[in-house]
Amino acid sequence: MSAPAPALAKAQRRIVTVRLADAGVTIAYLSVAFGLLLAFFPVWFPRIIVNTWQKGDLMLAMMVFTLSLDACLYIRVAYLQSAKPTVLAAMCLGSLPILVVAGLSFLLQGVVAHTISGDLPNLLARIGEEVLAHTYLGLVSAVFLPFLVIRLLQQLKASKFRSRN
Amino acid sequence: MGDWLLLKWLLWISLYLMLGVLVPWATSLAWAHQHGCDLRPRPRQLFQRGELGLVGLILGISVIWDLLQSQYMVHTRALGSVLLAVSGIMAGAVWVESYCRHSTGTACSHERVWRDSRRLAFLVFSMAAVIEILLDRSARVAVR
Repeated sequence: MSAPAPALAKAQRRIVTVRLADAGVTIAYLSVAFGLLLAFFPVWFPRIIVNTWQKGDLMLAMMVFTLSLDACLYIRVAYLQSAKPTVLAAMCLGSLPILVVAGLSFLLQGVVAHTISGDLPNLLARIGEEVLAHTYLGLVSAVFLPFLVIRLLQQLKASKFRSRN
Repeated sequence: MGDWLLLKWLLWISLYLMLGVLVPWATSLAWAHQHGCDLRPRPRQLFQRGELGLVGLILGISVIWDLLQSQYMVHTRALGSVLLAVSGIMAGAVWVESYCRHSTGTACSHERVWRDSRRLAFLVFSMAAVIEILLDRSARVAVR
């Protein structure tokens, strides 16, 4: 007598379903921390960022930070859902933060060149503010965009699966 | 200087919390009192269909407007606006999805809608706060 099909089927773990709200709350805490540092240390904190940028280490630091944060967030979601991480998500999380930060660093170079060519008063302070804004926006993009792409790919996959059945 | 900056942003945050969350809640209590109903909704019940996401979207629009009029370079303005718009749309989409699910009778978890809308509204709110702080700094540098 043959065993029933479900008993024979190999137990499969679910695939991690990333919800944007999970990534969103992490970025919100990151924003709160950034905002509090700006409010409590309005001179010291921007100076550290600008000095790091002048030494050429800012983009590297941002890449390391966002990659670690993305990986921790994804692993936490997988652990909470007791689900299996996928190769596609790992590829997105491994490559997109680096691509986003690298792209934004080129954009920042363009912004700085544009600011210098504008012959505006208080040039150094203006460049400092642009660097500060790009640092914040770069951090948010590099954490948020990989999860947005993963979410969109998961929805695309699900809709293809539905249309096939 | 730092203390004043913090107080200013606390005031800004309280304004949005009051007008976006407390006033609708107080209005619902006032309505119940006026009509003699035994209705005492908590904010969670009042916003259970994802309305907080809609509040987030509206907040995002107002900050995008401020950003577009700022002294930042056009690239920075564009980047900030796109990020705020994407976050706002995501927050608003929670309300839209909840509405569509209710209208079509598709299964919808109030718990999940409330959690997602709250988290995404918090995201837009915190991003908006940081961008407003950056705008304030930029404006002071421009006039110096």
